[in-house]
Amino acid sequence: MSRTDQTPPQAVADGGRAPGSLLSRVQADRSVTRMVVLVVVAFAFFAVLNPRVFLSSINLQNIAISSPEIGVLALAMMLAMLTGGIDLSLVSIANLSAITISTLFTAVGENDPALAQSLAPLFVLAGIGVGLLGGLVNGFLVSRVGITPILATLGTMQAFNGLAVVWTGGTVLYGSPDSLTSLGQTAIAGVPVLFVVLLVTAAVVAVVVNRTPIGRKVQLQGANPVAARYSGIDSRQVLMRTYLISGALGGLAGVLFLSRNPTASADYGASYVLLVIVIAVLGGTNPNGGFATVTGVVLATLTLQIVASGFTAIRLSSYQYAIAQGAILIAVMVIDQVRWRRRPPRRRAGTSQASTPA
Amino acid sequence: MTTPPSPRESVPVLQVRDIVKTYGGVTALNGVSLDLFPGEVLCLAGENGCGKSTLIKIISGVEKPDSGEIIVDGVAHPAMQPADAIKSGIQVIYQDFSLFPNLTVAENIVLTSAVADRRRLYSPAGSRPAAQAIVDELGLDLDLDADVDSLSVADKQLTAICRALVSDARVIVMDEPTTALTHTEVERLFALVQRLRDRGVALVFVSHKLDEVLQVSQRVTVLRSGRHVITADAATLDPRSVARHMTGRDVDDSRSVGLVPVEGPPVLEVVDLSLTGAYEGISFTLRRGEVLGVTGLLGSGRTEIAESLFGVLPAERGTVRVDGQEVRLHTIRDAVRAGIGYVPEDRLSQGLFMDRSIADNMIAGSLDAHRTRWRTVDRAGTRTTIRGLFDRLRIKAPNVAAPVRSLSGGNAQRVVLAKWLATKPKVLMLNGPTVGVDVGSKEEILAILRAEAAAGMGVIVISDDAPELVASCHRVLVIRQGRLAHTLEGEGISVDTIRERVAA
Repeated sequence: MSRTDQTPPQAVADGGRAPGSLLSRVQADRSVTRMVVLVVVAFAFFAVLNPRVFLSSINLQNIAISSPEIGVLALAMMLAMLTGGIDLSLVSIANLSAITISTLFTAVGENDPALAQSLAPLFVLAGIGVGLLGGLVNGFLVSRVGITPILATLGTMQAFNGLAVVWTGGTVLYGSPDSLTSLGQTAIAGVPVLFVVLLVTAAVVAVVVNRTPIGRKVQLQGANPVAARYSGIDSRQVLMRTYLISGALGGLAGVLFLSRNPTASADYGASYVLLVIVIAVLGGTNPNGGFATVTGVVLATLTLQIVASGFTAIRLSSYQYAIAQGAILIAVMVIDQVRWRRRPPRRRAGTSQASTPA
Repeated sequence: MTTPPSPRESVPVLQVRDIVKTYGGVTALNGVSLDLFPGEVLCLAGENGCGKSTLIKIISGVEKPDSGEIIVDGVAHPAMQPADAIKSGIQVIYQDFSLFPNLTVAENIVLTSAVADRRRLYSPAGSRPAAQAIVDELGLDLDLDADVDSLSVADKQLTAICRALVSDARVIVMDEPTTALTHTEVERLFALVQRLRDRGVALVFVSHKLDEVLQVSQRVTVLRSGRHVITADAATLDPRSVARHMTGRDVDDSRSVGLVPVEGPPVLEVVDLSLTGAYEGISFTLRRGEVLGVTGLLGSGRTEIAESLFGVLPAERGTVRVDGQEVRLHTIRDAVRAGIGYVPEDRLSQGLFMDRSIADNMIAGSLDAHRTRWRTVDRAGTRTTIRGLFDRLRIKAPNVAAPVRSLSGGNAQRVVLAKWLATKPKVLMLNGPTVGVDVGSKEEILAILRAEAAAGMGVIVISDDAPELVASCHRVLVIRQGRLAHTLEGEGISVDTIRERVAA
């Protein structure tokens, strides 16, 4: 049944876009390449402007120590966005986790300080457990009740944050296991342990997303929820697990908060919510779901931290940094758009193409 | 169909002259010309990738030809813009109709022309009469105040046609106009086409359903591989000869199935399945190796029965046994676990992940089956599965990493099929397996189904395409108003009997 007298159908229907045929891989490479370029450019820019301050080892250490908590939150955000959702409650979850650890430590420490120190790993698990619990609530609302993720997590963000305020009475809690604090100050061969934690977390997330059935299902769910359901993929389970994992990562971020700074409060990192969305999108995550790269998100985290510390190095305020954040995001999106437009238009017929061949 | 007053004597309303269009080295159209006269219906036929879509896009100004020109009423347009095309009275009605589902019929009919006229304010009161006038003129039974969302496919199509006419369309191009219509609706559409012709409107039909199109067209133009093959009077052609021109070879759509393999053990037993408002008391048995056709009008319950067996629309009463084992089918997961696969009617939104690769699509249903003991995806295993199916189903694509969006209808359908074959189902149901698939590919897909059945699977084909049922099914169930009206077997299966029983 050969059709020798015919041009291969897809070659024509494809409109010669054969080079784009490896769409997802090209997309992945592109967002990673783009972020590598951005990291290098940002780094070079500030290194040239104020090499003495920017290239100082303290500054570089600072970048490496401040990135992990944001990076872990951005990875959690990326996961939620991969399913086509979002998780606004991540920072509230992280704060609840930090507050839980601090409270437990202080409570146990009142009677037996040594015991409190030795129970540190348990407290850390408790913090991550709080994150899981928060993720469970989100997952329940999104997957079982069926609330739109942005609204469900807006609700839980407010609720979790309110809970934290009531719990702490709006004050800053002091007290954290020494082992956590020293972890925050330790470096292996010049690389802060916290940064290693980020890299390990990123590697684990990458394996889960790309190499496990659940990760692949998360991607498919985001790419087309209806087709996912019709392929026998249990959307409820996929969404539930996604929010559980992102909640757990939120809990881990809380642990990182405490390691960097032995205090916990309800309003720490208030600006992080939007920042991590910016990072996730900048790192190549499709806000409509179905596409993301872990490497891209890690690099985007570094870029923004480099810009942040660079702004400090050249004595610009955090407000000016906020302007830069927005400008970078919009610039990257504009470049994307221009690139798309230069290709043959992604016409509507692109959709009808498969059903109405040629 | 009565013959119109010989259109050839009048002046063509649209002339296409020596159009050449290449996409990055691939020639999509190679010197194609055609004339379109007022009051005629021209059928544009050809396989996937023959250049039909490209030609329509050029006529409607969406794409610019490399060379050649479009002449509308004697005015040459070397580089037509979509706005020029609309102003010259050329309207394309796409398969999805491009209507606004949240607006009423009247608003949909009037709004685009109001926008095109750059009117700044929309007046519902002022617009309604214009919509009413068109609907009355065509003698249609359309509720102007209904939301388009709530309309049947046929009524949506009528709305789109009315919209085109409000913009003074003189050339209407319709992409697969009969695909989603029932037999009666097709008759209604063709009656309307007759009235449009009386108004002097010229129509271009792009369709795969050759027998239907030949009934309504005066002339047929066949394209193959971007070249014009033939333009002939419809009266001198039959579906077989058109198919031959399209493919360049003889297409065999004769019955190539034997009797029911009685010796095959029953793989699916359905007893007294009922769902209020959809179907009632459906019982049948499917044997291993059998291809069972289920047909009926749109809304007869044929799709609902399939969706119940796939757990999308759980039945209220009745029992289903797979391999003798009673199964509960409340969710899609239940069905998949029981070994039932379903290739849905709406391939684009329900069957495929358009932006993902062929490989990702193929493995989407069997991720859990390809798992290592570390609970990661077994990459070697998936690669073998994907490669095997890619070759077995002869999917035409550069490689398995190509996104499904770049595939033609026939190849996209094979990917959906592959996704289910990868799950090694006991029963595979296909709803409209060859809708939007060209003749050559259709034949191959049916051959694949027959081969899979012969290898021990039970196959159910839900379709309103009588020739397809004749070509592939051992038995055909005719559903009428939710009830199993007839079971056709062996020699009893013919295009005529099926059409007669379905409509009766």
